[in-house]
Amino acid sequence: MANRGGPAQRPNPQTQGKICQFKLVLLGESAVGKSSLVLRFVKGQFHEYQESTIGAAFLTQTVCLEDTTVKFEIWDTAGQERYHSLAPMYYRGAQAAIIVYDITNMDSFGRAKVWVKELQRQASPNIVIALAGNKADLANSRAVECEEAQTYADENGLLFMETSAKTAKNVNEIFLAIAKKLPKNEQASGAGSTNQGRRLQELDGSPKAAGNCCK
Amino acid sequence: MNEGDLLQRAAEERANIVNKYARGREEGAQIDPWEDPSFEIYHVTDRYGFIHDQRVPQRKDTKEVQLERERAKKWLKMRKEWEQHKLSADKLRRRVYKGIPESLRGTFWSLLLEIDTLKKQQEGKYEEMRAIAWKWSPDIRQIDLDVNRTYRDHLMFRQRYGLKQQALFNILSAYSVYNREIGYCQGMSQIAALLLMYLNEEDAFWALSVLVCDKKYSMHGFFIQGFPKLVRFQEHHEKIMNKFLPKLKKHLDRNGVDTGLYTLKWFFQCFLDRVPFRLALRIWDVYLLDGERVLIAMAYNLLKLNRRQLMRLGMDDILQYLQIRMERSEMEDDVVIESLQRCMEELKKAKLDYPGPPPPDELPKTPFGTFTEPTFEQKVGRRTSELTALERVATESVVLRRQQTEEQLEMDQLSPRPPGTTSNGHHRLSHISGSDGGNLGDQGSKFSFDPSIDDASSLVSRRSLADTSVTSTADLSVFSSVTRSHAQDNSLDTHSNVSDDSGPRAITPTATPRALTPQPTAPSPDVVRIYVPYTSPQPPSPCRQNGDLPPRSLPCPLTSDLNKIRIKVDNNSQEEQTPIVEHGLIKPFQLNSPEIDLK
Ligand SMILES: Nc1nc2c(ncn2[C@@H]2O[C@H](COP(=O)(O)OP(=O)(O)OP(=O)(O)O)[C@@H](O)[C@H]2O)c(=O)[nH]1
Ligand SMILES: [Mg+2]
Repeated sequence: MANRGGPAQRPNPQTQGKICQFKLVLLGESAVGKSSLVLRFVKGQFHEYQESTIGAAFLTQTVCLEDTTVKFEIWDTAGQERYHSLAPMYYRGAQAAIIVYDITNMDSFGRAKVWVKELQRQASPNIVIALAGNKADLANSRAVECEEAQTYADENGLLFMETSAKTAKNVNEIFLAIAKKLPKNEQASGAGSTNQGRRLQELDGSPKAAGNCCK
Repeated sequence: MNEGDLLQRAAEERANIVNKYARGREEGAQIDPWEDPSFEIYHVTDRYGFIHDQRVPQRKDTKEVQLERERAKKWLKMRKEWEQHKLSADKLRRRVYKGIPESLRGTFWSLLLEIDTLKKQQEGKYEEMRAIAWKWSPDIRQIDLDVNRTYRDHLMFRQRYGLKQQALFNILSAYSVYNREIGYCQGMSQIAALLLMYLNEEDAFWALSVLVCDKKYSMHGFFIQGFPKLVRFQEHHEKIMNKFLPKLKKHLDRNGVDTGLYTLKWFFQCFLDRVPFRLALRIWDVYLLDGERVLIAMAYNLLKLNRRQLMRLGMDDILQYLQIRMERSEMEDDVVIESLQRCMEELKKAKLDYPGPPPPDELPKTPFGTFTEPTFEQKVGRRTSELTALERVATESVVLRRQQTEEQLEMDQLSPRPPGTTSNGHHRLSHISGSDGGNLGDQGSKFSFDPSIDDASSLVSRRSLADTSVTSTADLSVFSSVTRSHAQDNSLDTHSNVSDDSGPRAITPTATPRALTPQPTAPSPDVVRIYVPYTSPQPPSPCRQNGDLPPRSLPCPLTSDLNKIRIKVDNNSQEEQTPIVEHGLIKPFQLNSPEIDLK
């Protein structure tokens, strides 16, 4: 169990003005390291034998920008093709997505492109999409060239980084880049299901940001 | 790459993986250092074989083990009776619900599953399938990925390519060609691993096969493309929630916790990894005895037992609770199982214990164990098309369900409201919930479908809202069907306009200054409904009355008055005059007074 690289910074609520909340979904082929990326980002850990994800898992993590606290509600989905039909349940209303492939596996890059297409067609129009070429620590067995992925990302307006959940390379960075790119003053860009819950919670006395809109 | 290359690559990949398992841990196998058990120096194994980072508390276990040794004697006697066909079903049921002793779990699991019969019928089949799989199974890659990630914290599966990993790989790959309609679906590896903890390789294969195809368990419908049984079971679970735990259901809905988000693992793996392992074993004992209705009852049971905690939590914590905290909780196994039995009774009385036999789309269509060569696409692991028809049904149903919940919630937000809510506090109603408390108390409980949760400790601050929303459930069902059938008319947009419009916003709950609301615990029967009339295909008909509710005037779709917002204040207790606010003026309200239009 490697433990390099701590979890993303915790915010100090006193010094933070705005709090924004975003739904983020991770998609990509099985075993490319989606759960590992989330685990690294949220807990600062890496498990060699990370269990496969059945259905989906939910986690949250908060990051600080200069004047804003961004809270991610993260949906880590199952990668097996069979679970594809459930994916809309998770990306529906998401304001951000990370599409993950494994740099040692060309097929997983192909699969990532298919996900990009599907999101461009089906998800919220303003969704911020990041492409993560994971397992960058295994550059020895690289099958997908960095430039190729970068070109593809540029053509499609995606954020792109090569990451490693194992060494923590670019893990916090990719989430931060997304946080920066997300609109923080408009009304819900993705008008999703979660906004509903937020508003009502507020009504019930627990102060929370409504939708992804900042206070 | 051309087709030939792709095929060759896939075949090589498969052969490569198969080889590794075939060789096991013999010399020459390449094994990463972390894969060895010695890698972690300090670990302690519990009695089930799971390795922990900290010392496991032993005392309780030992006592339990002693007790179980005593019980095991009775169970040995029971096995004799079983063999002589003298065992009464009652006695077996009673005992199984108390838990099969760990030492005899394997024995009784195979008896309950009647593995021997199947095994004898299909002698030699397992080896045959295994051999075919090694040559042909298109699922080898995924199976390998998952064997590598299945219960690696268990002694048996700790060693990469160790004996039990080999067995797990063999079972899953053999099954993937035995039942081509399923092949391999993520989620099966944990089930197979659990079976392997108690059964030998071949028995575990047949056990898996019974679970999938025997109509008592019918897991086939769970794992095939489109998960039709999952969809059906989730719908059934929702029915139960609406009937027996409506407040919790509302609470989950409001927090965006859809049934689909938490039941999948419960149903696919019969609660493995979602409750403490020891409890999971007890549930599995019962599941093997009583079959799929245990899944339905246990899902209800878990939510019922944890409803008070869940009601206090928001979305993040609810999901955290269901995903993680429940697995680490100290739930008493006996308490949970006793409660499960009561739930089963309760559901039976309500005729909700069994979701019915599987419809044709959940049943296997081709006979098992007949080999047909995989298609090119299957071999190279490429999809033939987008989603299949079955998968589209799944997609549509998960999305539709959430949409309906959201619509319902929108309506909740618009129709009922807590007493005393005003337009941004400008025009506070002079009369809030100011009728006499006793009377109101009665009213409140009359509308409460789930009085059990109304104990003083729970949610005083939510109470008034919860009560009003439950009150309106019946009204809303009329309402939401209207909304749904007019989905084309942008009904949802109309709703959101309502809350954005400055006039009506005044009375959406968002504006509620809760702290200012006097007597928040005394729910008022006064309910304000705002509704937007839609063009209705039918002429306005007299509104339905719901048995449980007093004959209030329910909102009816109207043919005229489009784009108007109509506020109607229902006054249930006739003596009480509820004042209403119209254009900033407070007016007395009579039941027969005309509805007010806000333009
Ligand atoms: N070397 C290396 N291995 C990684 C990295 N990230 C993940 N892994 C390993 O890859 C395997 C799969 O990782 P997961 O995080 O379970 O993959 P996933 O995408 O969540 O897979 P599914 O849940 O099946 O969709 C695990 O054995 C991880 O330990 C990485 O950055 N470098
Ligand atoms: Mg995963």
